[in-house]
Amino acid sequence: MDLSREGVVDGLQRIVEPGDVITDEKILIESSVDNFRKLQNIFGVHTMPVPAAVVMARSTEKVAAILRFADRHGINVIPRTGGTATEGGLESAVPDSIVIDGSAMNEVVNIDAYNMQATCQCGVPLQVLEDRVRELGLTTGHSPQSKPVAHMGGLVATRSIGQFSTLYGGIEDMVVGLEAVFPNGAVTRIKNVPRRAAGPDIRHVVIGNEGALCFITEVTVKLFPYFPENNVFLGYTLKDMKTGFEALRAVMVNGYKPSVARVYDPGDAGLHFSHFVADDDCVLLFMAEGPAGIAKATAAGVEGIVAAFPECTRVDSAYIETWFNDLCWGPDKITAEDERIRQTRNVNRTTEISADWSSINDIYQAARARIIEEIPDITMMGGHSSHSYINGTNMYFNYFFNVVDVGPAEETTKYYLPIISIICEETLKRGGSIVHHHGIGKARAPWVKDEYGSSYYILETLKQAFDPDGIMNKGTIFPL
Amino acid sequence: MGMGGLNTEAIPSQMSDLRVLACFKATPDFEALREADWATAAAGGVETRYVRRVLNCFDESALELALRLSETAARRGVRAELGALSVGGRDVEPYLKTLVALGYERATRVPPEAAGGESEVAGGESGLDFAPGVVASIIAAYAQRVAHSDLVVLGWRSGPGDSGTVPFRVAEALGWPCLTQVTEVEPLSDDRLRVACVADDGPLRLTLRGPCVLAVGNAVVSHLRVPTLKDRLARRHRPIEVLAAADLGVDIAAQRHRETCLPTGFETIDRSRRGVVIEGQSPHDKAQTLFDSRLRDIMETL
Ligand SMILES: Cc1cc2nc3c(=O)[nH]c(=O)nc-3n(C[C@H](O)[C@H](O)[C@H](O)COP(=O)(O)OP(=O)(O)OC[C@H]3O[C@@H](n4cnc5c(N)ncnc54)[C@H](O)[C@@H]3O)c2cc1C
Repeated sequence: MDLSREGVVDGLQRIVEPGDVITDEKILIESSVDNFRKLQNIFGVHTMPVPAAVVMARSTEKVAAILRFADRHGINVIPRTGGTATEGGLESAVPDSIVIDGSAMNEVVNIDAYNMQATCQCGVPLQVLEDRVRELGLTTGHSPQSKPVAHMGGLVATRSIGQFSTLYGGIEDMVVGLEAVFPNGAVTRIKNVPRRAAGPDIRHVVIGNEGALCFITEVTVKLFPYFPENNVFLGYTLKDMKTGFEALRAVMVNGYKPSVARVYDPGDAGLHFSHFVADDDCVLLFMAEGPAGIAKATAAGVEGIVAAFPECTRVDSAYIETWFNDLCWGPDKITAEDERIRQTRNVNRTTEISADWSSINDIYQAARARIIEEIPDITMMGGHSSHSYINGTNMYFNYFFNVVDVGPAEETTKYYLPIISIICEETLKRGGSIVHHHGIGKARAPWVKDEYGSSYYILETLKQAFDPDGIMNKGTIFPL
Repeated sequence: MGMGGLNTEAIPSQMSDLRVLACFKATPDFEALREADWATAAAGGVETRYVRRVLNCFDESALELALRLSETAARRGVRAELGALSVGGRDVEPYLKTLVALGYERATRVPPEAAGGESEVAGGESGLDFAPGVVASIIAAYAQRVAHSDLVVLGWRSGPGDSGTVPFRVAEALGWPCLTQVTEVEPLSDDRLRVACVADDGPLRLTLRGPCVLAVGNAVVSHLRVPTLKDRLARRHRPIEVLAAADLGVDIAAQRHRETCLPTGFETIDRSRRGVVIEGQSPHDKAQTLFDSRLRDIMETL
């Protein structure tokens, strides 16, 4: 980088309105981390390099100008929208970075109910888009738990997935077209078509790039009819996860598409369902949705399949429905959780992986047993599978530990990273993927080469081609 | 575990200098209910059967304050023995197990129905949701006859539709004073406590001698610490005591009969105020609009 910190700020102030260049120390410090080091923000202890500025992007042209400026001077750029990243994707790995904040690009550009697609700028919160299309009886079908707070740009950049994925898919199945700006200032628009076979699908260069290749300014996603009145919920208790995975598999391979298909282990079930389960119960649950005939047939089909597992005992569907209605996390829950952590020093972390049906239970069992054995101060070690496919499913490890004898800054090295390490090792050993939906970020970048194997060549070449000067989100996806 | 009678062996030894009884209630997590789900249950009131239970937030403070009290006491050479009591069904057992893992020496529940009539359906209504007199009699009898408590700590109230009178009634039954809106407790010696509470004209700190009931209000400490899996494993064989109200000399049915006031419906009163979103290019613009449209006139009249 050939500019001083002041030089970076000065350069930005020449590109955008001076008021859009934020240099408030508190905001800069908070912007140096994301949820991966959330303890640092909660306890006000900071160890990461502080960015030079947060710049509010207000148009594609401004984004292009900022990127050209950063590229010319070799300044690290961290794209940001909702700020809910969990894997260090928003961390400033090097000093004097520029955080490009797209949250002010928050216009819903077009809702096309005839062609069933909606276009919006990167800073539109998913909840806002969803509320708008619901007025028309439609849905995006995307419902990550962070729906109230995550924005469309970040959701596409991380390859996010929502609670109804078994029916609607992940974000990669929803994005039909988009606009992105590359570090040299090139503005690229991928048009909105139902499908094409005109060479490789270049949407996938952008979807999931985690700000390490380009800045997403606009996205167009599919819309679906919304029939909440037809939703059917099914819930069961059972005693072991292996049976739970088998039941999920049976539902998937028999061709059913419930929107939700999940199995919770006893630890995780205890957190959510303690009002109707015993200590050692797992919970298997489903939701069928869609037009009345389909929802009904799906629910009946799923019921029939689960009936073949006598270990599964049906529970009142109202338990599942009531629970499901309160699953998303808005700012209120996030603030309450921060306060709980501040008082108890008991931290909740999650790590999500995926694998085929043959391996998933082994990965779950092996990682869980090792974490309980090897990591100190664990207060809960559990998880659930929440996104199933014809050939396998995911495992969302959900765990809590007390931070003992170390400061907030050492929480990652003493607990979090060693746990991630165990989960990655056990997953890779059995051929699974170490990241199901939160993105690699910086937290899991050390394992990226093992994740990709020989196909790392393709990934690495993308970085060299689109970001030859390496200014895009250093340390994210590609380890430093 | 079992519905045994009074276990005299379990009466605390003379070793402990300060016997603290913390009481709690598991309440429905009302925040997990959508407005639309505030449907009226058949029995009257809000249908909460399908919502998970949480520790009543004031009781949670009380439980953590008791743990902190025992730690401070230990540092000052005083041994405080902690007991936890809930008038509740099986669904309070996970909480009792947690408390045992955290170092509570006794963990007891008294089923809310007369012996034999306990509804063992997990998540079922307790049956004593609005019977403060019965609950207080059980707590007082337990404190006096079983735990021989020197101090009872509990939340000053529980949730929507409660009476807010349980701490007072416990104190009355025991013939002890009751301090309300307690925010901190600190043991000074085996019979002296320093208690912070909030009175009408602000916070105050009192030094007390002798037994009392502390009704915990908006304490800064609002979360119970979490035991590790190893703590749970180490204490997993400690029994959860289940005592019948009758064993404590409380006749639930007879007392229940005397409590004639029962809430039969809840309704929230809408006190929301209309808001206006001020539009503007910059914070400065917005502040100017706010000043011009709303504040200028007020300031001028002042
Ligand atoms: C409570 C909670 C629940 C969650 N639940 C889910 C869930 O159910 N499913 C799920 O998939 N995830 C979940 N997440 C993770 C997170 O919400 C997602 O990763 C989300 O997609 C991030 O969106 P965001 O707008 O907050 O992005 P940010 O946090 O701002 O950024 C995320 C990453 O994307 C990059 N990025 C952001 N905007 C752009 C852009 N315009 N162009 C290029 N790169 C960009 C950033 O550099 C960063 O690497 C959850 C997180 C929290 C805190």
